Amino acid sequence: MAVTSKYFSGSERAHEEHHEEEHDPRESLMFDPLPRGVMNDMVMESMHTTSWKFWLVLGILAFLVATCFFYAWGYMISEGLYVAGVMRPSFWGIFLVNTVFWIGISHAGTFISAILRVMKAEFRRPFTRAAELMTTFGLIQAGASIFMHLGRVWLAYWLFPIPNERQLWPNFHSPLMWDLLAITTYVLGSTMYLFLPLIPDLAMARDRSTGWRKTFYRILALGFRGTEGEWRHLTVAMNIFAFAIIPVMFSVHTIVSWDFAMAMRPGWSSTVFGPYFVLGALHSGMGAVAIVLFIMRATMKHMDYFIRKEHFDALGKLMLIVSFAYAYFFFNDYIVQWYGGDLATDNLLHWLEGGPMAWMFFQMIGFNIVLPWLTLWNKRIRTTPWLLALIGLLINVGMYWERYVIIPVMLTINRMPFTWRLYEPRIEIFLTIGTFSMFLLFYMIASRLIPLIPVWEVQEGQMTHSLRKVGKAHLPTITEFE
Amino acid sequence: MADTTFLALFEDIDPAANAIEKLHEMGVTNDRMEVMSGVPINPRMLGRPHPWTNVSRLALGGAIAGFFFGLFLNFGTPNLYAVRVGGQALFPIPPGLIILFEMTMLFALLATFLGVFLESDFPNYRSLQYVPQISDGKIGVFFQIPQEEQQKFTDALNELGAESVEPTEARQL
Repeated sequence: MAVTSKYFSGSERAHEEHHEEEHDPRESLMFDPLPRGVMNDMVMESMHTTSWKFWLVLGILAFLVATCFFYAWGYMISEGLYVAGVMRPSFWGIFLVNTVFWIGISHAGTFISAILRVMKAEFRRPFTRAAELMTTFGLIQAGASIFMHLGRVWLAYWLFPIPNERQLWPNFHSPLMWDLLAITTYVLGSTMYLFLPLIPDLAMARDRSTGWRKTFYRILALGFRGTEGEWRHLTVAMNIFAFAIIPVMFSVHTIVSWDFAMAMRPGWSSTVFGPYFVLGALHSGMGAVAIVLFIMRATMKHMDYFIRKEHFDALGKLMLIVSFAYAYFFFNDYIVQWYGGDLATDNLLHWLEGGPMAWMFFQMIGFNIVLPWLTLWNKRIRTTPWLLALIGLLINVGMYWERYVIIPVMLTINRMPFTWRLYEPRIEIFLTIGTFSMFLLFYMIASRLIPLIPVWEVQEGQMTHSLRKVGKAHLPTITEFE
Repeated sequence: MADTTFLALFEDIDPAANAIEKLHEMGVTNDRMEVMSGVPINPRMLGRPHPWTNVSRLALGGAIAGFFFGLFLNFGTPNLYAVRVGGQALFPIPPGLIILFEMTMLFALLATFLGVFLESDFPNYRSLQYVPQISDGKIGVFFQIPQEEQQKFTDALNELGAESVEPTEARQL
């Protein structure tokens, strides 16, 4: 369906050459269409092509998952939570830092896929799936971290409202119970939201595969053929999901923030914690998307066609806007507590600024606020993939420190000075390496099993884009097909 | 004589729309025609009726069911397993709103997802009429006509830009 390629022939091409100083529309994916069959082949080839480096990294990650995740967790289960560093006064340690961090990462998928879909932001098209995968895999790590935190994980079913003979019932007054319900809703919702737009691409892969891959895609494609009815049901469902998953996304991280804000502890009891957490989640999520896109583009075949500088540029702008909003909520939270005059809070804030963890506090501000403000206003930086990925990485370091400061560090200074003791992680360090390794391992495996580029969405976008002559200029125009 | 299903493949929307109009003129009704494509195409562009879908109704049904499940969870079950905490109500309204919201959204999303399966008859692993060129971006127009009229229809559709017009049979996808 070569719909949009017509405008680059004859006189229009000459016109373009006369105006070299103008932006060349072909730099944009939407104005540089290829036949659908060619795009399909490119995506399939990117999935089938692996090098020894890929298998080496995969092997290292698999080893780390086996040792740092499964063995370390098994050891902790058999020995008890004493092998972890959690003890009075910081009973909430890195496991919950990881939980909050991974839930934050998971927000990128929903933000990019749902909010940008609702807002009809066209640049989203080639990387919605890469972001949605981050949501699903991030939530798996968040869930695993919560179970690690439980300690006696085999009693996890006590959390669920199941009729029982123990005369125990979950207390719905508790934010931890809200957490369980919200995260369950988000995990199921985002996984279904990942799967629905994937069906047409699985059908495409089914049509081009043989052997075990054919069976795999045939089962997952569910018999999709692209009839008018199938598309109608699918698009209506995706629209419902796009609108419905946004409030769910906001609720999840708001409820996560309430785990802390509902407690009358210095540094935690804050009314802006909800939006502050949501913005923090988006901040780390956007940064993580920049890293993933850079790695995809650098390591997978043909990805430079689908993921272009324009996408990094748009992502960089989003990161800058999110960093402004993040800074606003951070300052709001900080100054109100600082001005309040509560002795324990004063002690905590002074300790953050001058105590042994001050380096973490200031790195957090530097990476999350100062760095994006100093760099992301510059288009050259935004359109340099490795630089944006590096900034995304540092933002994620900053966001990890932020969660670390909020949880174990803030628990150190409380209203009972005789309990003050700095948290020192032990086996948690291995388990953290394990969760990061598992996330990367899942992503690498998925990159070779499912099409990371939603080809049908890209083609749909290319069909709706054209150039319209207005006066002497040819201007990008988008046609509404719906 | 029983009708045979034919498939006409088109490169672009315009010739496909013209071909569908021609098929209508030649007496092929919408219920004897099926269009398949690799991207969602608004049926109006092809001069076809909008397919009916119950997905949004099922989503609403799911939301209502989730709301009542949330009510039961929050205001019903504490009666069965009372957790009496000093000074706290057995049925607190503000936390109840959170439970209600989460259950309403969860059931709405589940119903939407299952709605796609129900409405599209997924999963369907039977033999079906299909050609892989459709996922390569071609538009496939399947229509049923008597076998003896094949030549007349083939000529008419080829003239309108069909890449091929051939009888088709159900196949394993």
